Amino acid sequence: MKRSTQIGLAAVGVVLVASYWSLSGGETDDSLIYSNVAECRAGNQLSASQCEQRFNEAAANHLREARKFGSTAACEQEYGSGGCQSAVWNGAQVAIPALAGIMLARQFMAGGGAAQPLLPPTSSACPPGTRQPGSGRPECEQPARSASSSSSSSSGYYGGSSSRSRAYTTTSGQAMVARNISSTGMASTPSVASRGGFGSSSRSYSSSSSS
Amino acid sequence: MRRLSLSPRPDWQAQVERLGFAFHTIEGETYWDESAAYGFSLRQIEDDIEAPTGAIEQLCFAFVERAIADEEIMRRLAVPEAQWQLIRDSWQRGDRNLYGRLDLAYDGKGPAKLLEYNADTPTSLFEAAVVQWDWLEQAMARGLLSRGCDQFNSLHERLVAAFGQLREPAPERMHFTCVEGSAEDKGTVDYLMDCATQAGIDARFSFIEEIGLLADGRFCDGASLPIEMLFKLYPWEWLFREHYAGALATSRCRFVEPPWKALVSSKGLLPYLWEMAPGHPNLLPAYFEGDPRCAELGASHVRKPLYSREGANVTLVEGGTVRDSDDGPYGAEGFVLQAVAMLPNFDGNYPVLGSWLVASQPCGLGIREDATPITKNTSRFVPHFIEA
Repeated sequence: MKRSTQIGLAAVGVVLVASYWSLSGGETDDSLIYSNVAECRAGNQLSASQCEQRFNEAAANHLREARKFGSTAACEQEYGSGGCQSAVWNGAQVAIPALAGIMLARQFMAGGGAAQPLLPPTSSACPPGTRQPGSGRPECEQPARSASSSSSSSSGYYGGSSSRSRAYTTTSGQAMVARNISSTGMASTPSVASRGGFGSSSRSYSSSSSS
Repeated sequence: MRRLSLSPRPDWQAQVERLGFAFHTIEGETYWDESAAYGFSLRQIEDDIEAPTGAIEQLCFAFVERAIADEEIMRRLAVPEAQWQLIRDSWQRGDRNLYGRLDLAYDGKGPAKLLEYNADTPTSLFEAAVVQWDWLEQAMARGLLSRGCDQFNSLHERLVAAFGQLREPAPERMHFTCVEGSAEDKGTVDYLMDCATQAGIDARFSFIEEIGLLADGRFCDGASLPIEMLFKLYPWEWLFREHYAGALATSRCRFVEPPWKALVSSKGLLPYLWEMAPGHPNLLPAYFEGDPRCAELGASHVRKPLYSREGANVTLVEGGTVRDSDDGPYGAEGFVLQAVAMLPNFDGNYPVLGSWLVASQPCGLGIREDATPITKNTSRFVPHFIEA
């Protein structure tokens, strides 16, 4: 055979991100938390492409590290209805918890550490009844999911309403309620001597830089 | 080799979009075109495409060996002298290359002829590696093509494997960059990042304009993270001339494609290949403009700038008159003249075969069709298959 035997696309398997958690009552001020790229951009702490990069990196780590379930039903039992996505891992179709957001440690802003993936809250943190509006647990509420899907290319992560607080699970299994985006500025990076020294040719040529 | 007219899948846009293919339509024109497909025999693929592609790659290696030791060649290829050592070092260190695409003229009968080598920044990769692969599976499932068909396309598997072998031990982190504002370039980079991720690499993206320089001489990404290995969908001849050109050699950065690829991505490669292997069945006679031997080409030839992309500034002269040309900003570095290999005409469509190499191994085919004999950035990608 002259063709590939299988093609796994992490972008399609993993970066299909439904974002849903919304509303109320949070903590965490030592991290920046974004549930999608649009929210990250709106936060004005990182550039648009940095936001995308962070989500890409979190999605990649997420696929590697997430607990793999044999079926969506088994996964949803743990993470709630709509809290899972399908993915291809080592050639096998699996279900993994959705990437519900990312967390950037402050330390990351200064140059270290990677974006940490955040998962939907588990069923023990947010039992099924609390996921409906009016349950008294707004951080567990699940807004209507957008049905759209997208690749990892720009604005592929979408989100529902911007939000006050949300419930998440960290990759280590801890429940967490996060208030959306604290507003402290990005740590300065004095070691950067300059920027923008590449890219000028592309502006003076009308045709593509590739072939 | 034959061109089949086929009915596109009724929901073809949704089908290709589910793969993450975002640029199937460019500026309102269909780019991914499954209303046709080219069929080849296995013998045509293996003997006429795959084997010559491997042979030409070996010839290119011999040329690089020669060029790095010959200042006149470096000058002729318009490589700035300040970058010669960077190129030599990357070759002598054995910096691995990831991919490249030979553009071939082939009509199914005579030998395929090399038009040019896109060795540095080739695109149309995702559509070749993934979209046409998926198209074939579905075409066989729908009964449009018989079950035993195949495709010259192990690009995806080879790319994942090649990323794992870029450096020993495999790099942990790798940055990827392209210009802002090109959906095609970004789509290509996104796909390559996906392949790298599957090879266990921590793949990160920054637009080329966001790259910065740290006080210690290293490049950094938009988040100020040092760049140790950089895939750049951005041509070396531009990097060599921009503000940061002087920082390349001291950046301690490994580049993909490596700097030595600058020597084979220039159209200046073509006269040298012809000089090294005159009469090679897969090469066309070619000379630098101004070389007296240009007279041997006669009144019909193609004039190409040393640096040109997507057909820009290429002129087709037939019987002394210009038959087709494309405007563009290139040409300051000089031109080469090449004998004409007329592209085969299939019902008014002119296909160019893109024969892919991954880590220098021939492993795939992508066809772009245009309504004129010069392939431009308006061409359409048409899938192919190997007959059962």
